[in-house]
Amino acid sequence: MSSLFSQLAVLGSSLTLIFALMLLWHRSVDAYTTAFAWQSVVLAGIVAVVAYFERDPELYFVAAMLLLLKGWLIPRLLRRMEGPFGAEQELQPYVNTATSLLISGLLVLFAYAVCRPLVALSHLPTRAGMPLALGLIFVSLFVIASRKKALTQVIGFLMLENGIALLAVLGTYGIPLVVEIGVFLDLLLGFMVMQLFVYRIHETFESLDVEQLGRLKH
Amino acid sequence: MTLMGTLVTGAIVCYLAGALAALLGNDRWGRILGAWGAASGAAISLSLGMVALASGSVFSAVFDFPSLTGFALRIDGLSAPFLILTGLVGAASSVYGAGYSAAYTGVYSLRKLGALFNLLLLTLTLQVMADNALTFLLLWEAMSLVAYLLVLTEHREPATVRAANWYLAITHVGFAALLAMFFLLSAGDLSTAFDTLRANAPVPTQRNAIFILALLGFSAKAGLIPLHVWLPMAHPVAPSHVSALLSGVVIKMGVYGFCRIVLDLMSGGPAWWGGLALALGVASALFGVLYALMEHDLKRLLAYHSVENIGIIFIGIGAGLMFQSYGLMSLAALGFVAALYHTINHACFKGLLFLGAGSVLHATHTRNMEEMGGLIKKMPRTALMFLIGAASISALPPLNGFASEWLIFQTLLGGSHIPEPAVALMIPIAVALLALSGGLAMACFVKAFGITFLAIARSPAAEKAHEAPLSMQAGMGILGLACIGLGLTPFFVVPVLGRALAGLDRLAWETTVFSLTLPLNTPATFGSMSSPLLAAGLLILLGLIPLALWVIGANRRTRVGDTWGCGRIAQTPRMQYTATAFAEPLRRVFAELYRPTKDLSIDFHPESKYFVQSIEYQSEIHPWFEKLLYQPLIGIFHRIADRVRWIQAGWLGLYLTYMLVGLIALLVLAWWTP
Repeated sequence: MSSLFSQLAVLGSSLTLIFALMLLWHRSVDAYTTAFAWQSVVLAGIVAVVAYFERDPELYFVAAMLLLLKGWLIPRLLRRMEGPFGAEQELQPYVNTATSLLISGLLVLFAYAVCRPLVALSHLPTRAGMPLALGLIFVSLFVIASRKKALTQVIGFLMLENGIALLAVLGTYGIPLVVEIGVFLDLLLGFMVMQLFVYRIHETFESLDVEQLGRLKH
Repeated sequence: MTLMGTLVTGAIVCYLAGALAALLGNDRWGRILGAWGAASGAAISLSLGMVALASGSVFSAVFDFPSLTGFALRIDGLSAPFLILTGLVGAASSVYGAGYSAAYTGVYSLRKLGALFNLLLLTLTLQVMADNALTFLLLWEAMSLVAYLLVLTEHREPATVRAANWYLAITHVGFAALLAMFFLLSAGDLSTAFDTLRANAPVPTQRNAIFILALLGFSAKAGLIPLHVWLPMAHPVAPSHVSALLSGVVIKMGVYGFCRIVLDLMSGGPAWWGGLALALGVASALFGVLYALMEHDLKRLLAYHSVENIGIIFIGIGAGLMFQSYGLMSLAALGFVAALYHTINHACFKGLLFLGAGSVLHATHTRNMEEMGGLIKKMPRTALMFLIGAASISALPPLNGFASEWLIFQTLLGGSHIPEPAVALMIPIAVALLALSGGLAMACFVKAFGITFLAIARSPAAEKAHEAPLSMQAGMGILGLACIGLGLTPFFVVPVLGRALAGLDRLAWETTVFSLTLPLNTPATFGSMSSPLLAAGLLILLGLIPLALWVIGANRRTRVGDTWGCGRIAQTPRMQYTATAFAEPLRRVFAELYRPTKDLSIDFHPESKYFVQSIEYQSEIHPWFEKLLYQPLIGIFHRIADRVRWIQAGWLGLYLTYMLVGLIALLVLAWWTP
């Protein structure tokens, strides 16, 4: 049973990482939103699996919230935002696809290296997924740093958030429910603020290219 | 609760209530109630200091409220003189401020001014009670920030903002030094009680580092050369009752801190510590007064005199430290007592002078002395008060400045037989330079009083001047009386102040007495000089002058005419002596120091150059050593800022990359370190 649990955790973690890597070779924001939605669904699945094996009813609630908020509500809002801006595409990121994939590979390797002492200390069956969660955090950060469109960055940030949630659920079987609810609220508010910024950036520069923000200096 | 505990609580409650009233009240009642809170709090601080000195008892309290853990207060002998001066100047300036700040109604925020004034007094009162490094540093920073905000009261003037920024920069350099000093002193644990620190002595090299850092940190606050530059900038631009507090009390916290750390916690050190403090004191005294002489802005002039007087205080402390290291304990005690005495005295007369200058500013709306004149007829009481302050700061007997400067001279002369060549050389030089700065200070205040109050008005504003309102007169009156009282009772004050040293190591504080006899203890060839006899003789000679005039039958008929009338019928202000003219001889004597630049432009009549239409004369002085020290420093900072500017490329991707790289670097660091 325990090995099934462990295998499910690793499978789920790998899937979330793959959805993050999808951002690196796709060009359309629409595909990004889909990837994020699926990633969130998988994350909710992992939480549900942990809840099932650990018999923790609170985690079912968290999984439901994840599904509702990140799997449905935020992707919906994201798709609605795409509307006014037309088909914004990530045409020319700072780093090209091949190099991006290479760097992401290195980042995941680094995550494995960093996690070694952590994995050695832990006795949880889910420990094998932790390097993958950390890798997801690194890759999301890299996406935020290397992409130019504001919407891509927002999605990168949301994936970073997913990575943190994944690490928490794999490493400690989730955080207290109050904190979890606080994080959800935070996320929603953060997303709204970012949404506002995206609108303002578009209003000011007629584009969602954050490179334009450089013009604000001077 | 003990009497002192009640008083401490009372003072805190009064200040907080005052701050609250100032914040909540309307313009009129907020101002008056805020001043009441401050004045009653200050009165309690004053009585607290007096009780502590009179009874010799120690108050201590350690707070253990959840939010105040590690907060410890203690009042001992050394805190008491500073509580007294905080109370005296605080009470006077809050009474004065009630009237003075009315002029700010509708122009600048009275609420902020009243509340911050109360908070400043609160932090000052608590500062001298701090009993561990944590409390001390917290209050220090709070005091600095509140003072900064008070300097910023007239925040729409660019000069004010500039001055406040200078103050903030220098005070934070000092704070950094103090932080490092306390970390060294308490071996990393800032909440160690001062009692524990007293007991365990650090190793000598560390002691030297602690001393240097303490000197740096506290001289930045006190305004010792070369960290004095913020005083002449920040004191003039603050509201005058705040200037009185800044110059009278805030800079004294530097003196307090220095005494607390060097005398109390480290109980003195090698002779060069004292020598360094003495040398810096002499330099400050001399340069302070020399720059004051060239100032025509009344409040800037006073601010430069604060540099001078802080120098005099440090001369006393430095001499005391030096004698302590040579084992001359009663002489050392005399030096410290003299320094403490001068600290209180300076607080009184400088507070009084700033309040007086404030009244003049209030009446004429200018700080430029060249536009004043004749004010003694328009505002006689302010003039009298300013005269008392001026006579005190010029060390004229029987006022308080004389008593303490006399004691400092006595201390220095008493040390003239230390058989160390460096000391034997240093002390006569210090005496000579101190005497020189005393003389120059006198000249400076002849100028300040004469140009401001005497002769005839130089501008329409001075002509329309009016006497200050009653509250302002009362504020000045308190300090005027204090100046006279402290001057007349040195025989009482000095032994009482000696108790301030009671807790200090090995100091023969019981023997500190005031005497008018100059102890010229040179080997028997010289003998002792009875100075009281000389003074009495001089007084008698002075009394003989009218007698002699009467004897030779001088003309005693009273005639009424204009001042400096010279028999002319019509006089214009342009005929009289100006402040620039008065200072001109000294400007020439010390030209090497001042590096004056002259700008003379004469507008001739087109027909003949023997007819002059107008002459414009401008002369500025350039404090070259300030340029030498600060300009390169600022230049270096600018260059570094330019170099590192590329980090701020204004490019979002780069900023985000910083975060990624930072995260990875931290993880690698955590990975490598075991």
